[in-house]
Amino acid sequence: MSFQVKYFGMLAEIAGLSDEVWNAAGGLTVGQFRAQMLDKYPAMRDKKFKIAVNQKISEDFVLIETPAEIALLPPFAGG
Amino acid sequence: MEKIHKPKKVFVQGPISPEFVAKSIASHQSKTGIGAHAIFLGQIRADLKEGGTVTGIDYTAYEEMAEQAFHDIREAAFAKFELTCMHIYHSLGLVPTGEISLFVFVSSPHRRAAFEASEYIVEEIKANVPIFGKELVGEAGHVWKENT
Repeated sequence: MSFQVKYFGMLAEIAGLSDEVWNAAGGLTVGQFRAQMLDKYPAMRDKKFKIAVNQKISEDFVLIETPAEIALLPPFAGG
Repeated sequence: MEKIHKPKKVFVQGPISPEFVAKSIASHQSKTGIGAHAIFLGQIRADLKEGGTVTGIDYTAYEEMAEQAFHDIREAAFAKFELTCMHIYHSLGLVPTGEISLFVFVSSPHRRAAFEASEYIVEEIKANVPIFGKELVGEAGHVWKENT
């Protein structure tokens, strides 16, 4: 499966890009995706962030169903 | 009658000018059912950080999700408080210290609803809208802002 991943704020800075296509061998939950992502970008391990699936903040147990847009959201700073 | 509130454009590029705020107030003079306006303005503070003083904040957002979040906040505020109208504007891009990055403007027949709605809306924006802020510090440094 493959899906779109978007990075924001300090996470885009760490990844060095603001979006990419993520390819995975089989189905993935949000938690499994998070683990793969931290393997790819170890510098994100000590950062706080939430994961949104199709613009909804999602728990780790949620299964990602394609087509999906995943977004990594660091702490909000509006105002 | 149930009013339908169309999604409105919230984001503006750069600072929100005092002239824009003044024009917004003036444009409500024909709505004579209004007895109270409450306005909240968020201004960029020159905080002292490790690498120097904050000179501005560079805002980015997950725009599609943020527009939806703003829409949800508007709907919730209209349901919760007796409001005649409501306007929310937030900056994207660079806003220098001392300038305005958030403009919340609520109008009601009476003051209590206006006061309470403005506080509710600002708190909801800070907690639930995916906006990110890079605080520019000193000559070339930066730190990422985090709402508390």
